[in-house]
Amino acid sequence: MTSSLLRPPGHLSPATALQLSQQAPNIIKNSPGAVTASAFSSLFSAPETPELWTIYENLLLSCLRTGDEESAHLCLGRLVNRFGDDNERVMALIGIMKEADATDDATLEVVLKEYEALLQENPTNTPIVKRRVALLRSLGRIPDAVTALTGLLDFSPTDSEAWSELSDIYFSQGMYGQAIYALEEVLVLQPNAWNIHARIGELLLMSIKSGDQNDSAKQLGEALKRFCRSIELCDDYLRGYYGLKITTTQLLEDPPKPSKQAESDGLSPPNLPTLQKLDGLATEKLGEITRRFTAGERGWQGFDEAEIVAARELLEKSSSTTVR
Amino acid sequence: MTWFSKSTTTFGFLLLAHACYSAYEHSALQSHRAASLSSLSATQQQAASSSLPLDISLETIVATVIITLGLVLNTAKLRPIQWRVWAGQIERAGEEGARSSSGEVDKDYVGNPFKLLESRPGFVDIRKQRKEFAEWVKQQ
Repeated sequence: MTSSLLRPPGHLSPATALQLSQQAPNIIKNSPGAVTASAFSSLFSAPETPELWTIYENLLLSCLRTGDEESAHLCLGRLVNRFGDDNERVMALIGIMKEADATDDATLEVVLKEYEALLQENPTNTPIVKRRVALLRSLGRIPDAVTALTGLLDFSPTDSEAWSELSDIYFSQGMYGQAIYALEEVLVLQPNAWNIHARIGELLLMSIKSGDQNDSAKQLGEALKRFCRSIELCDDYLRGYYGLKITTTQLLEDPPKPSKQAESDGLSPPNLPTLQKLDGLATEKLGEITRRFTAGERGWQGFDEAEIVAARELLEKSSSTTVR
Repeated sequence: MTWFSKSTTTFGFLLLAHACYSAYEHSALQSHRAASLSSLSATQQQAASSSLPLDISLETIVATVIITLGLVLNTAKLRPIQWRVWAGQIERAGEEGARSSSGEVDKDYVGNPFKLLESRPGFVDIRKQRKEFAEWVKQQ
């Protein structure tokens, strides 16, 4: 169980978060609250590990999420004790705590003012800049959030997390072109991130659906390539195969006219036999993954239940259309 | 497989201990004989006593090989070094894939390291998470 405490808890299900925060009083009781600096007493106490402080940080976030403020304050107190309240990361955690405690927008404005005051002192305090962006976004002031975020990227263009957040903000506003551009920046920094490749493919598909682009042949071709790359980087990647299946189905059902520009870019969709082969491969792999997951086979249980259900529905839909 | 490797290692150590004991006994016997011989005739050569018999040397070498074999057999399963295989294992098996034989998840297991690009802990919207959690509790 402690292994999931070593990772940031943002993506955990509510049930897991609840379970983690229920363990919090126990963990706090059993872990050392402070590590002494004197060499003599450190001979008798347990050695300090970096994991301890990661656990406190993640426990703090889980407790805040589930509303266990008492444990959260204990965790934060220990972190402040160890690193001081002028540590950038601890400053951001204090900010999160204040945001969580705030009951109305006026209090949040005060927190925002505090962030701005901190940034006056040190404009490159990355965790605080990120908190400010998150708070602005949460208050619904999207343009301000984008400005702050591009400011962050100006002084720290290698922050892939920030690029990814920028893409998500653009996506929430329906600006697919910018969102895809930001994700391409992430890929420049993390070329092996298979989930980002799949994400770009998904964004391309969504932008075709939204219909504001006219060159759908080129976009479908590119989405196909993105999904293929994500599968190339990761065996049995359910999300990649799902996207591949959707793309090939669309291309086979309604083959777009090859445009000259797409051909010159090398982004035109492949020819029919290749498409059919890809479609067959995706169907076969999706079938294998859903079958083995449902059979409870060992080593195949890491998939998300909801994703498996979606894959099965997609397969049933496609098989019913072929029968007709 | 573990009982096999463990018994192999134990057997190797037994052989090694036996070889050491034999070598010790051999040298003790030799020096005793040399002492008794030199009391009889002081001119006797004792160069031959310094070398170990062949079977003790062989036993030592064989014991070392067997111990090494046992230890190598006992090592954990190798991790995949191909990117796509490694990534596929993470996606397919999750934590299960990093579990050792004793059922503990590896300490350095991080799951998909690029998941952070989608969950983005630095930009966490704690108020939204709290709201969602409260709704989830109500549904339960």
